[in-house]
This record gives sequence, C-alpha cells and structure tokens, in this order.
Amino acid sequence: MLTLPKVLFIDFERCIGCRSCQAACIECGGHESTYRNYVIPVAPGLSTQTVPMTCFHCKDPACVRVCPAGAIEITPEGTVLSAAKEKCMGCRNCTLACPFGIPKFDFEKKIMYKCDLCYDRTKDGLPPMCASVCPSEALQWIEQDEAMEKKRRRKVTQILGGAPSETGVHTITGWLNSVAGR
Amino acid sequence: MNTLLNKVEPGEHLVPTHCCYCGMQCAMYLRVQNDSGKVVGVEPRYDFPVNKGKLCPKGVTAYQTIHHPDRLTTPLIRRNGKLEPASWDEALDLVAGKIIEIQKRHGKDAFAVFGGVSMTNEKCYLAGKFARVALGTANIDYNGRFCMSAAAAGANKAFGIDRGLFNPWSDILLADAILISGSNTSECHPTAIQYFWQARDRGAKLIVIDPRETPIARVADVHLALRPGTDSALLNGILHVIIADGYTDEEFIATRTNGYEQLKATVAAYTPERVAEITGVPAGKIIRAARLFGQAATGMAFYARGIEQHSKGVENVLQHLNLLLLTGKIGKPGCGGGTLTGQGNGQGGREHGQKADQLPGYRSILDPAARAHVAKVWGILEPELPGKGLSAYELLAAVERGEVKGMYVVCSNPAVSAPNSNLVNRGLENLDFLVVADFFLSETAELADVVLPTTVWAEDEGTTTNAEGRVIKINKAAEPPPGVMTDWQLFREIAKRLGRGQYFRYEKPAEIFEELRRASQGGIADYYGISYERVEREHGVFWPCPTPDHPGVPRMFEERFGHPDGKAQLHAVEFRPAGETPDAEFPLILTTGRVVFHYLSGNQTRRVGFLMEQCPEPYLEIHPQTAAKHCILDQTPVRVITRRGAMVLKARVVQTIRPDTLFIPYHWGKALAANQLTNPELDPVCRMPEFKACAVRIEPA
Repeated sequence: MLTLPKVLFIDFERCIGCRSCQAACIECGGHESTYRNYVIPVAPGLSTQTVPMTCFHCKDPACVRVCPAGAIEITPEGTVLSAAKEKCMGCRNCTLACPFGIPKFDFEKKIMYKCDLCYDRTKDGLPPMCASVCPSEALQWIEQDEAMEKKRRRKVTQILGGAPSETGVHTITGWLNSVAGR
Repeated sequence: MNTLLNKVEPGEHLVPTHCCYCGMQCAMYLRVQNDSGKVVGVEPRYDFPVNKGKLCPKGVTAYQTIHHPDRLTTPLIRRNGKLEPASWDEALDLVAGKIIEIQKRHGKDAFAVFGGVSMTNEKCYLAGKFARVALGTANIDYNGRFCMSAAAAGANKAFGIDRGLFNPWSDILLADAILISGSNTSECHPTAIQYFWQARDRGAKLIVIDPRETPIARVADVHLALRPGTDSALLNGILHVIIADGYTDEEFIATRTNGYEQLKATVAAYTPERVAEITGVPAGKIIRAARLFGQAATGMAFYARGIEQHSKGVENVLQHLNLLLLTGKIGKPGCGGGTLTGQGNGQGGREHGQKADQLPGYRSILDPAARAHVAKVWGILEPELPGKGLSAYELLAAVERGEVKGMYVVCSNPAVSAPNSNLVNRGLENLDFLVVADFFLSETAELADVVLPTTVWAEDEGTTTNAEGRVIKINKAAEPPPGVMTDWQLFREIAKRLGRGQYFRYEKPAEIFEELRRASQGGIADYYGISYERVEREHGVFWPCPTPDHPGVPRMFEERFGHPDGKAQLHAVEFRPAGETPDAEFPLILTTGRVVFHYLSGNQTRRVGFLMEQCPEPYLEIHPQTAAKHCILDQTPVRVITRRGAMVLKARVVQTIRPDTLFIPYHWGKALAANQLTNPELDPVCRMPEFKACAVRIEPA
C-alpha cells in the first residue's frame, strides 16, 4: 500500500477551542455543508482545555471491518472515506464500532458521513481545510518523519513534565495523547 | 516561504484579500463564481507571512455576510414611527436638508459624526474630512475611543509615537519571556496564538495576567489572576522586584530613558506583600513572574482591552512600557510588544483624522503647523478647520443632554458598544435627526431617522493597517447590491448636496489614498512612501514610510524614541482604585469581554449560522463558591444588577474565574447587552470608559 507523504498530526494541548476546524470543514467542497470533525471540552467548568477530535484514519479501521456492505473505501494513500452512496445500506454499524465516534449518520439521507481528510485537496498535495486554518497548530499537516519526531518529543515531555498547572487544574490530555499516539 | 498552490474549483476564481474582522487582518482568498459573480466560499492564503493560511471561525465564515438575506439594499426613512423604503434621492436630500437645518438653528457643532475603524484607511480618512470640510463640525469621534485610546495615549506619553505593536509578529519567536496582560489572546486574536505556541516550543516562559484562566493562561508558567482594576498595582509589584533584584538594564536606562529616579522612588513602596493585599495575587507569584521576565535575555510584553478599558487605562499601559524600558527589552530582536488591536483597522483608523483631536498622519488638531499642512492638502483655509471636538462617550452624553441635535453614524453600533447603554440609547432616541450608514440593520440603525445601506468589505477596495502597523490591501471580490453605495461614495454624495462637492471629487479609492498619503506626509504615521503596488508586492508595508524607496519600519525604536531628545519617558504610577469598587450593596466585580465566535457589537457575527450555533446568547461566568453562596446552579437564570441597570442571564459555573469576579461577553444588544451594566467612568487622559471593572450584585432570577 502507498503511504501518504504527509500526515495529520494532532497536538492536543495546543487546542484553544475556537472550532475553526469545524467551520473550515464545512467549507470543503466535498463535505456537503456538514462538519466531520469535533472539538471536545476536556473538563467543562474545571478547565478551558479542549481537544480536536478528527478521524485518525486507522490502519485497520473498525468502521470498515464492521460494514456489511463494504461501503467504506480506503484509498491507496490510506484515507478512510465516507460510505459510498450506492453501497451504504444505513445500518449504522460503523457509528457504533468507531471508538472515537467519528462516523455520523444522516437520518434524512440515510447514509453515513465522516472525515475524508478533504481527499480532493490532499490527493493534490494541499492540506485538509482543518489543518490549513487551525490558528493554534493543534492540527498540523506535516511530513511523517516530522510527525514521528514531534511524537517522540511529546513522550519525553510527558515523562519529564506532567506537573499540575499553577491553578492545580489537571487535564486528561496526557491520556488522550497516548490514545492518539498509537 | 510556503509555495503551496491553491485549489480552484471549476467555474470559480480566487480574489486575494484580508479578513474584515480583528486587528490580525488575516489574509484569505475569497472564492468567486465566474458567471454569477457571487462569493461562495473561502480558501486559505498560505503564502501571506502573518497568518500563513490560518483563520479563526469568524474569518472562515466572514464571506457569509456578503450575500446575506439581512443585507440592507434600499435607503430607509422613518415615517409615522416606522422605517420605510425610500429612493436614494429622497434619502440623501433629506439627510443634507436636515444637516443644514440643524446647523443653521443650533450651530455647526450641533451635528456630529460618529465613526468606526472596521473600514479602510480611505474611508476613515474621509470620515474626518467629511466632518471638518463638508459639515464644518468639530464633533467627530469614533468607536476606537472604546478600544485602543488608552494604548495610544500611553505609547505617546512614553515613546512619543503610538504604533500598536512595536514589532512584527515574527519577533515573538525570538523572545525568551512573554508577558500577556489583559488579553484573552486565544479568543480575540486566535491566529496570533501560533507565534506564542511556537515560542513556547523553544522554551520561552509565559506570564499571563488575567482574572480568568483563559485558554492562554491555562498554559502559562505563571498565571497572575488578579482582582479586576488592580493592574497598575500589580505591575508596580513586578517593577519593585525587577529593581530590587537587579534585573534592570542600567545602561539602557541611562542612555535611552528619562524619569528613572522618580519611578524608582514610587515603586519602592510597592513590596510584593503590599501588592498581594491589593491585587489578591500571592506575593510569591509576583516575585516569580518578575524574575522570569527579568532573567530572560529577550522578552516581550503584550496587552489589550483588559488593562486598557479602565479609568486608569493609560497608567496601566505606561506600567507595561516601564517594564520594557527598565529591562531594556525594546527596540531589539525579540524585545518589545505592544497592544493587540481589537478592530480590523484600529491602527490605521486612528491615524488619519477620525479622532476628535487629530488630523491625518497622527497630527494634533491643535498644532498650527499640522492645521496649515492639512488645510493646504484639502484646499481650504486654515481658519475653516474646526478645533478639537468631544470624545466618543462625552459626545453620546452630550447627545443625551440635548446639546448635540443630529448625528451621522458610520461603521459603528454605539447602541451596543458604548458603556451605560440605557443612557446612550435614550440619547440616540431623542436626537432630532440620526442617520446610520450600515449594511445590516444594527441596534443603532433601528433608532435612526434615515438608514443608508452601504457595502460590506468585500465590495470595495482599499488599505487597512493591521496590529503590527503593516499597511495591507483589501480587494474587491463582489459587486454591491444594485444601487448600494460604499461609505466614501455616500460622503461624496452628501457633500455635493451641502455645496461642498468640489472637495470630494473621487471616482475610486486609489484617489483617496493618494490624498491620504500627502496629508500624512511628514506626520508621525507617515504613509507617503506607500502605494497599492508596493503593498501587494511586499506583502504589506510597515509605517512610517516617508519615501517611495524607504523600506518601512517593521521594528520600532531600534535607535531612538519619538520624543524630541530621542529618549523614552518613564512614568511613576501610584495605584488608584477603579471608579467603582465592591461594597456591601454591590459586593462583586463585573468584567466584560469577547468570545471567539463574535466580533464587537455582533451586528455581523450574530447573523452567521455557524457562529450563532456555537454561542447564541451571552452568559454569566461565575465561580462555584460564589454560585453556591447565592444558590445559583449551572445553566439557571441569574439577575445581574449594577447602579446603572439590570439584566437576566444564564449562569455558567466555572472554576476558571476568581470567586469575587463575574464575566459577561458583550456582543449582544437591548435586553442582552452587558453594557447596560458597565460604568462610564472615564480615563482622565484618553477618555476611555471603564468597561472592565464595576461593582455588581447578583440574585437568582
């Protein structure tokens, strides 16, 4: 299988909760005015920390495995697409199987939709809309080597750092990082 | 530099321009359909050095205001108490007739102009000329008085020059310590965050002063959560430690500043322990913050409305400049900072004569030489130029007292954005004649006698000046709705009807810019060397730029300051309390601010679906301890009461605010307007109202 020259790297702690990624997701031509990424407050009322939640485009995606119709295609670059309109039977298995809640179901059109990494941009070497606009660089479209290096650095910081903030507010982003950094 | 190509959908083309909202003035492309000419979307502009394609949610959705169904497309005239559509001739004749009638009966100054700075330099410049040349009134001021006047006055006092940021954004990447004071940067200037985060990546220390744990305070090395209204005391504490621990740059102080001895004597009394009492910030944290900043080789200090919108806003600003000067951290790579401009053209709009006391080029209207220069450019006699007029809130108060009878409001919504809005609205309602030029029916327009529809930013071209002092170019992407004129055309048409048409013979914005260049020549904000071509070619030009071959000045004060002796002035500041402090009747402190989803009075962003989904209404941020004491639960209604007004909002119980402090975002009007509550106590120097601290009481509603 081909690998993407660039990957979507998520630096959770940089998120400022502005939801620009969602606004921009809507703007992507292939997204039919829906957003397919999410911003989650980590501990509402306790901290202003939020995290972006986008599809991780898993190597062996649960959504694809459970689809009885084989409607979810994985492109040669490894991008996990939305269900193909002509194949999706609306069973919603994928929405239940994904541990991150990424596939959503459109009850009017009776079809699943999800992040496709703005395939019509990324296949031409352009960053997806979310990473293009993210003002805090919580979402970055970077070379795989650079992503691996950042991941290594983050692990080191987690081991060396990890003290609670001045206000004593603990966030669970460390946990989220370890989940995402699979 | 990024050389990414952009995606162009079939049947579309891209128009390079900038966002219409905050002082970042992020670059973007608008997607325009070839056949219909409609703007249908946005595309990142990866190659612009300020934002590199990044946008906040307001920027991403900005284009949605262009063909919005709420757009005003015909003039409206109030008949029998109702605003009804009218023809252009009828509306403009009525406006001109009323101006003449009011000025004849009550004097020239009885008709005022109230401007704004979310429009191009060309329009801001013309607003000033329109007031002085077409109307001959001294009374012109603008919403920037509520925004950046304290920062401007502070910088003028300390440096002799006011440019919002003294450095380009890229200097942040060279700073080892960064102080952010009274700025919710991540919500108000989201695309600036990339610079702060990258500085953190390379180990820069971050100090944040804010009564709330904002998203940027969350990651600070030291977060000083002070009691609102005590900023100048806190800074005195930091300056005390800087001097006591020897973090001063004595050589810099000796060669480039005046006033050190007096400052030293004043801050000596502000020990960390005493300052802790005043501010509610533990002494240890004050010492730690001072040491982090003092020890760093390079450092920058940024501030915004949180320290400026006070009755001592100028003093608060001076304190931050004192810090930079004492530590010698200005005029060098990675050293400096400044104010984070809130409005799109807050910088340019305050330089070219829209202020009651100023003429183009940042000249004083009281300076005979400046008056002679501008009168010559305008082709009038110097004595024809009016003198200094009333500042924004004083103007609105004069309206309420019936001293000003008529007003032309352009690019502003004072019914929402002015403090003590009950009084301000009463005044606007009682005006003999109110004209509002806007593209949406704002809360102020609803009170008008005549509403003139105008264009949105994408329907005209011109320059703006971003927070860095970089002059950039807005380009036209769409045609206005049929018949709708842009603000400079409205000024021209009204001037014509007032018999002053010969001073406003413009056919395109470039002609206005040519005149602006000449009017600013030799002034502090000198634009003479700037042209549309240079702006496009060089990704913007930093002022001052006195000649066409001058490169512009990205980093200010490298060799000298603006005072005649070239030195900066240190100012000793004694702490004085806010205009209103808590007492038995009003035991808590209210502060106001913005959210990331809305811009200023919300007249634009409250009409954008995505933004309203995220934040449909204002709310009250309250600490759990305070909420419990008043039997208030999360998401339940609370009545908030001050000496000026009361309103009901839903509570948002959060631990990220001081227990003695409440917060309300201010982007809504009428019953939802936070400014019903705020205190119009003014700064004695710059006339900035105290939006950021007043005494308040709450009860379950």
